[in-house]
Amino acid sequence: MNQPRKVLLLIGSPRGERSNSYAIGKFLVNKLEEKGLLPEEAFAARLVNTQKGAERLLRSVDNADIIVLATPLYVDSLPSPTIKALELIFEHRKAVFSTKSQMLVAIMNSGFPEKEQMDIALKIIQNFAQESNFKWGGGIRVGWGMALNSEPLKEKKGMTRKLTAGLSLASVNLSEGQPISKEAEELASTLFLPLFVAKSVSRLFGNRGWNKLAKDNNAQAKMCDRPCELNQ
Amino acid sequence: MKTVIFNGSEEGDLTIKAIEKSIVDQLTEKGWEVEPIELRNMQIAACLGCFGCWVKTPGTCVINDYGRETTRKAIQSDLMVWLTPVTFGGYSSELKKALDRIIPLLLPYFQSYHGQIHHKMRYKKHTKLLIIGAQEPGLDYEETFMALAERNSINFRPPAYAVSVFQRDTDPKTIPAFVEEQLKKVEVIS
Repeated sequence: MNQPRKVLLLIGSPRGERSNSYAIGKFLVNKLEEKGLLPEEAFAARLVNTQKGAERLLRSVDNADIIVLATPLYVDSLPSPTIKALELIFEHRKAVFSTKSQMLVAIMNSGFPEKEQMDIALKIIQNFAQESNFKWGGGIRVGWGMALNSEPLKEKKGMTRKLTAGLSLASVNLSEGQPISKEAEELASTLFLPLFVAKSVSRLFGNRGWNKLAKDNNAQAKMCDRPCELNQ
Repeated sequence: MKTVIFNGSEEGDLTIKAIEKSIVDQLTEKGWEVEPIELRNMQIAACLGCFGCWVKTPGTCVINDYGRETTRKAIQSDLMVWLTPVTFGGYSSELKKALDRIIPLLLPYFQSYHGQIHHKMRYKKHTKLLIIGAQEPGLDYEETFMALAERNSINFRPPAYAVSVFQRDTDPKTIPAFVEEQLKKVEVIS
């Protein structure tokens, strides 16, 4: 009898369980669990800075048949702990020859509404997959993260209806041992409202949201301070 | 005039060390003050993604370590240089840990820029930017690396910027000429 296949959810966000990366990745992995795959979770930022953590990360990667890397966009690329995780995995796979066929799937998310802002970061993950001998399982780009608010995704509900429909479709592909289809990639990466509307809302209401957060921290009057200016 | 060099290489990376030395030599000769920072030796924690530098202590990271210094040095210099091994087409984790921590240079507020939504700049003064990656022989990630640098230049808006990839199997004797060409591109030497 065949052993159940294993899926590793590797979270690249330093915010861990309180992140959009986790909310999106968890939805996909839950779907895969429903289809009989065994899930495991690992958090890059908690593992990459210690020998013990790095060993745990590499063990989890070695054990997985599918790795779902869910990570935010930081400064046009991946957060530093995520890059560190990729560096460690690459070095490990150079040293340890594996004949096991493993697939890497990437889910990027960003606060900007345009999914194209994540293209370079996604390409970096794809380059890593190629250099590290992973089969490329596809990439999803989730823009306008503010709409998700790091909460668990609910199927076919309002703002996440296209994302959850795309992830559900992706889970069917992956459970059958196939990469995510272009259709699922596109559906999951499409905003629930027209891009020009999302951009206008970001400019108009996104800025109010930042002010509200600053006000909650009694910092609204200092929002535009320049503490590193030379003449201060 | 001041230059800060963020060196994101591992210990023993002779190619990047030689590039760094050549930058120091050429700019010092022109009277510049140059400060190379070996990031691997610095205590810089990873960005927490908490947005505290925007909404709690605006302009200053909530983590009190050398990451705060990198922000200060970045804005108070006339030229900022990023040195890195080309890592899957991007930057090394050592360089990136510093870059993730300089987002206090930006404001959280959104604006349209180059047709996309980006953050506004916090400071009126911007710093020239030179990005150099050293690439292993047999790899061809130059296009990805250049595109990443282009995206960064849109976000940090340097008054002049240049990006280049140095192939590690190139004769090291060519490094001074290579560096000179890059420094000309960012208009710090003529």
